[in-house]
Amino acid sequence: MNGHEILPYLIIIPLLGAFSMPIVNVIGRKAREAWAVIISGATLAVGSALFYYVWENKSIIVYTLGAKSPLGQGVNFPIRIVWEVDLFGAIMVLMVTLVSFLAVVYSIGYMKHDTGLDKYYTLIIILELGMLGIAITGDLFNFYVFLEIMSIASYALVAFRNDTWEGIEAGIKYMFVGSIASSLVLLGIALLYGQYGTLTMSYLAVKLAQNPTVVGKVALALFIAGLLFKSGASPVHMWLADAHPAAPSSISAMLSGLVIKIGGIYALTRILFSIYGHSVSMKTVGWVIIIFACITLIVGNAMAVIQNDMKRLLAYSSVGQIGYILLGLGIGLAAYGSQTGEIAMAGAIYHTFNHALMKALLFLIAGVVIHQLGTRDLNELSGLAKTMPKTTFAFLIGAAAIIGMPPLNGFASKWLIYESSAIFNPILGAIAIIGTAFCTAAYVKVLYTFFGRPNERVLKARDPEGSMLWPIIILTAAIIIMGLFPWQISDKVMIPAVKSLENQLAYISAVLGGA
Amino acid sequence: MFGYWDALYFVLVFIVGLILAYLLDQWAKKKGMGTKEAGDGTKIFISGEDPDKVIPGFEHLEGYYTGKNVMWGLKYALKRFFTVLKADHTGLLTDYVSYLVIVTAFVMGVLLIWG
Repeated sequence: MNGHEILPYLIIIPLLGAFSMPIVNVIGRKAREAWAVIISGATLAVGSALFYYVWENKSIIVYTLGAKSPLGQGVNFPIRIVWEVDLFGAIMVLMVTLVSFLAVVYSIGYMKHDTGLDKYYTLIIILELGMLGIAITGDLFNFYVFLEIMSIASYALVAFRNDTWEGIEAGIKYMFVGSIASSLVLLGIALLYGQYGTLTMSYLAVKLAQNPTVVGKVALALFIAGLLFKSGASPVHMWLADAHPAAPSSISAMLSGLVIKIGGIYALTRILFSIYGHSVSMKTVGWVIIIFACITLIVGNAMAVIQNDMKRLLAYSSVGQIGYILLGLGIGLAAYGSQTGEIAMAGAIYHTFNHALMKALLFLIAGVVIHQLGTRDLNELSGLAKTMPKTTFAFLIGAAAIIGMPPLNGFASKWLIYESSAIFNPILGAIAIIGTAFCTAAYVKVLYTFFGRPNERVLKARDPEGSMLWPIIILTAAIIIMGLFPWQISDKVMIPAVKSLENQLAYISAVLGGA
Repeated sequence: MFGYWDALYFVLVFIVGLILAYLLDQWAKKKGMGTKEAGDGTKIFISGEDPDKVIPGFEHLEGYYTGKNVMWGLKYALKRFFTVLKADHTGLLTDYVSYLVIVTAFVMGVLLIWG
């Protein structure tokens, strides 16, 4: 099937699913759950097909809304909204659709005692829709709209369990400060539109390269600050440690696994590489990102060590892992055009995908523990391995992968980041290793507790039912299998994704053509 | 080759680490004041165990590995660092916004001067 033909279904299917959910809900609980699984499953099928098409053809898909060409009649510049998907975007699409589908399946068992599930499934599909929109759009304002769709769904889902103050407080804090970060992004878009008169990313890239201005730099600073916040980089990460643990675990898996990547890392990378490209000093921008990366990976991983709340520990660990991804991105920018920069960027994209799988797995396991024991306090989880062996084994795999133990997938991506950072600047390599030491300490703490002598409370726990167990098994298998073919994945997917991202000319000409 | 690793190095490092850990364990058993097998009072405090057998109010946790005690050595050694980090995480919304403003100002300043 042609990539151009299937691309719109990536938005149409979840949009249909979300708006029809309240109607399907009238039929009954099983119909509602089946509908959510069908919708997210169909979106996964479209996402996989799209990824395969882009990867196989090594092409960029451009889809214009409402016309065949993005260019206006009689003019040689784009006036319509375009969606533009290169290999980097396609990888993000695959990641979002896969983890979202597993989170929906997991929710069947996990959320069965909750009420208001028609709203829950509507919101979870809208959340997926927002993320997919960000991954495929080639228009800055369209990007902002999808960013807000994603963010508003996230705020609502964090506060979904409104019977506890924790959820409400975290949701309000997240919404308030998240809106300020979104406003910074919107202000940046407004400045660029006022200065250059266009919102099409590829045309903006041309305009910025022709006439780089102070306004363009101010807009970039607003984008970087707003998107660092959305990605959970330190010191603007504090909302994350409140919001992610307060949400239901299936949502925590999506927030930590996907939202901070798409709404933060992906958006930042896209703006820096595809819009700004050579119109700012890549070295300066790269070092700005590197500074925040170093703070993030030390603070996030260190804070994880001193947590006794399992979900809060995982949330801080997400902050730490974002540090590694930002480090790869920063070096990719600062060493732009060199092999070191290419490998660092490949490591960043690879780790983004890997971390989505690992963190989704770990949060789903945390959900199983809460579901069985009603607590996430590590002081009360001693000996879980005896009564929940499958869950503990999956946690062991997830923890080993996130620490970066070979031969699991986390090792391959971290290795690319370590190696490139050590070559770029040995001090950065040392900081990355110190972060990993903290990360190891945090996860050893959980594993030590799980493998300890069982207490009375834990003796009643059992491995979960099928709908909760299967997503965990699939994610565990994916982590192991991806770990067995690290360099094949790196060579055939990640490096080509970096090359397509760095090729700003191809991104521009895909939309503007010969114009 | 750049961007690749040889699994054999890691297997070797793992084996060496394992041998060192075994030798250290044997040495500690020989030279130490005693192990927990030797009876009460001579027990070595193992990371994760409660130092006191029974903590008032936490009787149900007797002898279990509690999360708060695991990695106590690291936490103790870096007490000042962790205290600063904890103090910084106030949970106040105003602090979250302040950090966002500071980050924006920092990035803007750097980009305007060197960008």
